[in-house]
Amino acid sequence: MPSFDPDTVSEIHQHLHSHLPSESALRVKALETVLVEKGLVNSQTIDAWVEAYSEEVGPKRGALIVAKAWSDPAFKASLLGDAVSTIDQLGYLGKATAHLKVVENTPEVHNLVVCTLCSCYPFSILGMAPNWYKTAAYRSRAVRDPRGVLQEFGVEVEDDIEIRVWDSTAELRYMVLPERPANTDGLSEEALAALVTRNSMIGTDRNLQANV
Amino acid sequence: MDGMHDLGGKQGFGPIDVNETEVPFHADWEGRMWAIAQCGRGRDGWTIDWWRHCRELIDPVDYLARPYFDSWMQAYTATYIDSGAFSLEEIINAKSDQPPIEPPAAIDTRQVLKDVQSQATRFDRPLAQTPQFQIGDRIITNQLTTSHHTRLPAYARGKPGIIYAYHGAHIFADACAQGSERPDHIYSVVFEARDLWPEAQQKNDRVFLDLWESYLESA
Repeated sequence: MPSFDPDTVSEIHQHLHSHLPSESALRVKALETVLVEKGLVNSQTIDAWVEAYSEEVGPKRGALIVAKAWSDPAFKASLLGDAVSTIDQLGYLGKATAHLKVVENTPEVHNLVVCTLCSCYPFSILGMAPNWYKTAAYRSRAVRDPRGVLQEFGVEVEDDIEIRVWDSTAELRYMVLPERPANTDGLSEEALAALVTRNSMIGTDRNLQANV
Repeated sequence: MDGMHDLGGKQGFGPIDVNETEVPFHADWEGRMWAIAQCGRGRDGWTIDWWRHCRELIDPVDYLARPYFDSWMQAYTATYIDSGAFSLEEIINAKSDQPPIEPPAAIDTRQVLKDVQSQATRFDRPLAQTPQFQIGDRIITNQLTTSHHTRLPAYARGKPGIIYAYHGAHIFADACAQGSERPDHIYSVVFEARDLWPEAQQKNDRVFLDLWESYLESA
């Protein structure tokens, strides 16, 4: 059972700092070896998890959700009203999305998602978070200088557009519904999904383009 | 806890690497660390917030300087050692000091995808007590918090905000990190950027945080 005692854990961290090898790969290998020998994990199961997040669970799920919302007003209303049961119908409800909210970009509003305290992310619909999302630079600046952050991503947001930053401080998770690009009438859901970038669902991309 | 992890609004970290290659994992060990986190056993009594607190307790220099999933290795290792699953000596030697125990049966990717679905953990709980605030109410956040785990970031303490949405009662993170499950009403609270940052006086931007009632006072 855990001690729930911060002083105990701080002391463990000091020992780990002093005695673990510096190289991350060796550290993780040591952890896997000990857990396998203790009967707490199976290395083949680890292979399967890596494959699942490399091949199946990723931002293409979120892109399909966006494409469906662009194509079907009833789906969009359902997604904005109750994202959890809406993504459940697609089989995408899962890791970190039991309290999902979808926030909509409009000509007047741009949404940006961050977790300043750790790295909370809606894994079952967007897969692994990009590294930049987990860096001190993004976490510190997204709430304070969102326009500067967006500029670095090549996104200019006019002064009269309101920026809404969502800091994931509890167990709710956020996905941005970007605006549908112009000149995409009649495209299939699959073709629309191909226009959706991962960053547009986090909020570090805004003006999606139709393929030309 | 006033730790290095509480990064919102801190300055001096420089530009963001916007040209990162879009791949799920940037090294094999990152994927293996993620996977260990998803399927490892031996975590009786752990809570998500206790684990977050164990990650926050990493030496601040390591927290900032070492790679992201390296901090997961250290947080999981420390939490396992704290629980008695293995010892400091065993992880330093990268070897169990006992004869190996048969691991759980392997599962395939199809089963993993079902497990991902079963990880839709809900944090809402019934609470008879009626919520103190309604949408549109003006609040002020607590200035004094706790030296233990909390999810009220430093930049939003003692600040005025408005209740934007109500989400029912969720397990209170501060108590959860200490092993007790206590529901508390939770709200999305909207803050004007100009109330948070000196340089944002002319801006109409807003910052939204999901905050428990225990963090809030009527304004």
